[in-house]
Amino acid sequence: MSAPPATAVTTRGLVKRFGTTTAVDGVDLEVRTGELVVLLGLSGSGKSTLLRCLNGLHPVTAGEVVVDTVAVHRARPAELRRLRTDVGFVFQQFNLIGRLTCLENVLIGALGRVRGPRYGLLTWSARHKREALAHLDRIGLADQADQRADTLSGGQQQRVALARTLMQGPRLLLADEPVASLDPENAGTVMDLLLRVCREDRLTVVCTLHQVDLALGWAHRLVGLRGGRKVLDRTADGVSRAEVMEVYRRLETATGMAVA
Amino acid sequence: MNALAPPRVSGPGGTGRPRPRSRPPLSWRRRVLVTLGGVGLFATVASWWYLEFSPAVLLDGTDAVARLVGRMLPPVVDDPGRTVDLVVETLLMALLGTVIATVLSVPLAFLAARNTTPHPVVQAAARGVITFCRAVPDLVFAIVLVRAMGIGVLAGVLALALHSVGMLGKLFADAIEEIDEGPREAVRSTGAGRLAVLVSGVVPQVVPSWIGTFVYRVDINLRISVVLGFVGAGGIGFALQSSLRSLSYDAALGMVLAILAVLAAMEVASVGVRHLLLQPSARHPRRDRAARWIFGAGLLLATGFAFAWLRIDPLTMVTSAPDVVAAAMRLVPPDFGLVGGQLWEAVLQTLAIGVLATAGGIVMSIPLGLLAARTVSPHPVLAWAARGLMLAVRSVPELILAVVFVAAVGLGPVAGVCALGIGSIGFLGKLVADAAEEIDLGPVEAVRAVGGGWWQVLFSAVLPQVMPSLIGSSLYLLDVNIRHSTVLGIVGAGGVGFLLYEAVRTLNFEFAGAIILIVFVIVYVIERLSGWIRAQV
Repeated sequence: MSAPPATAVTTRGLVKRFGTTTAVDGVDLEVRTGELVVLLGLSGSGKSTLLRCLNGLHPVTAGEVVVDTVAVHRARPAELRRLRTDVGFVFQQFNLIGRLTCLENVLIGALGRVRGPRYGLLTWSARHKREALAHLDRIGLADQADQRADTLSGGQQQRVALARTLMQGPRLLLADEPVASLDPENAGTVMDLLLRVCREDRLTVVCTLHQVDLALGWAHRLVGLRGGRKVLDRTADGVSRAEVMEVYRRLETATGMAVA
Repeated sequence: MNALAPPRVSGPGGTGRPRPRSRPPLSWRRRVLVTLGGVGLFATVASWWYLEFSPAVLLDGTDAVARLVGRMLPPVVDDPGRTVDLVVETLLMALLGTVIATVLSVPLAFLAARNTTPHPVVQAAARGVITFCRAVPDLVFAIVLVRAMGIGVLAGVLALALHSVGMLGKLFADAIEEIDEGPREAVRSTGAGRLAVLVSGVVPQVVPSWIGTFVYRVDINLRISVVLGFVGAGGIGFALQSSLRSLSYDAALGMVLAILAVLAAMEVASVGVRHLLLQPSARHPRRDRAARWIFGAGLLLATGFAFAWLRIDPLTMVTSAPDVVAAAMRLVPPDFGLVGGQLWEAVLQTLAIGVLATAGGIVMSIPLGLLAARTVSPHPVLAWAARGLMLAVRSVPELILAVVFVAAVGLGPVAGVCALGIGSIGFLGKLVADAAEEIDLGPVEAVRAVGGGWWQVLFSAVLPQVMPSLIGSSLYLLDVNIRHSTVLGIVGAGGVGFLLYEAVRTLNFEFAGAIILIVFVIVYVIERLSGWIRAQV
């Protein structure tokens, strides 16, 4: 791979519509390489959609998206798949396959760099399996490698999902509410782990979060979305909690007026 | 490579961290599954060898099929008035059979459900009766009843009713066992009596599931009632068989098309009824209530009409009971010795047909079913085409397929295998497609997010999720196919059915009893086995 460009993610006038609803409405965003950016906003503000536009899981309606050096908005399917191998994605619902073992789930992360379909452990090479086990070990669940994923707790499942993402060897990590389905204690553990891994691997991170305090704790920059529009874009230094809460509060009144 | 090297893991000969294994530890369950897979493969190969099934026969058969199709075209309807009469008769037989089965099944279900049965012994007995009704194929009931009460619709209706109890009773009881006990407790706490508790605390919870099962069963019985005439039990099947016997294939096709039209209409109607009755909309509670009333009243009217049209005195249901019992008594004691080796060979052939047809059905259904699933299919048009094909196949009864294949490849088990194998597409293909549409889409998104293509999504996100239901449905298919293969012999497509039919025709009832007993044991064992395996997956 060539030397990473200084900007990992650029969007210009990004618009995404589903039928008649506009989920993302003209967002400009720039994420520098190595930066940790947190997207804030209430449910339905377009955060998850924005993330999925970045790796092409949702095709964009209008505007430009450039990730790494790839123009996502006009990339062909093969180009998109190649890009996605370099972009990790952590889902709110983990998206593990419950009846497969943790190791098998982690191996899914390597699908982007092997040819052809895989089914079952026997179809993976020993090298891949060693690598997957190493990632499980790194997130502290090597002992559970042979257990079915659905026997694990929510926090453990999200850690397995993180290992699956690491298996890709990503340079950019997109995380969609990674701890929203977890209790506070597990949320803390998973978030710490995520942060540590990202720092160690020098990953660029775009993460959506509900917990303002968590966001203030570790983000380099905070971006607030409301009704699909960007309403806040500040470095985390010197931003006050009250300012961030504005993103939510103003939305409440806005919704209130819309209803009335 | 980028920052991959995980810092805490050492290389080979490391710090006693768990080593990667080339395969997961063989748990008992996994070992059982692998063994069963091997057994299945072996059974398929053995059946193939035993039946001397060869693709060459099929290739030769294509000419015969072409000639057959040539003689079928253009289809003619000889006597439109009579054909319409017969179609209506067939439809009413299916309805009446299902209604009678429902009346019989409701009390049986309450006795057979764990949480409403008066005593475990009663429960076991009720479950036994239900299982027996399911394990004796519909046509076997029909053959025996035609002997007992004469040729005609009454025997057909009763045969449908008795066999349907096997499914309705089981599903009704399962629905009762799944209820929420809370409302029942609430009714009991008002001081209501036993029956009142059942009616007010249990029935409201199970009615939606019961209605769904009932509508589904009408659908199935319509398909069965089409072929009951083959053994003289009323409906359009008799006319169909006589036109096949007299080699007037164009008239036969005319009748088949009439039947297919009714079956397709029924399929649409049952989707509509289920939608209207089972997915109540919050916005139109009045419309829903009206729909329920119209459905109930319509069903009552149709039942009355069916009795009148088929000229069945409702009282015969009661008065004919001694005849039925007498017929059953003539079957005992079963006599296994009569044909000796021929009997066991026929039984083996029945099993081989069922196994081979199931294997072929699985091989054809998986790709077709996946193509038909909206979540997997590469293109919506392809999905609709696959769905349409499966629907078309499903609406042709197996016995009619068997007749076609007997004409094409000659008498014998190969025709039976082809008929059941093709017929399996309609059944298993649909189940595969439904399962693939119901999967959690999260893993699909996850595989796409790591850069996986269509094949990788299919193998890494879809198949692992579909696999348990695929195994379950395949075993269920085996179940169904073995049951069907016991009656294929009636049209000369191999298996034990021919002997059974002959035994009843020649009034050799003890021998027929022996065959029925064997069929029952086989079907029961396969059903139990497949139920157990499904629980392991």
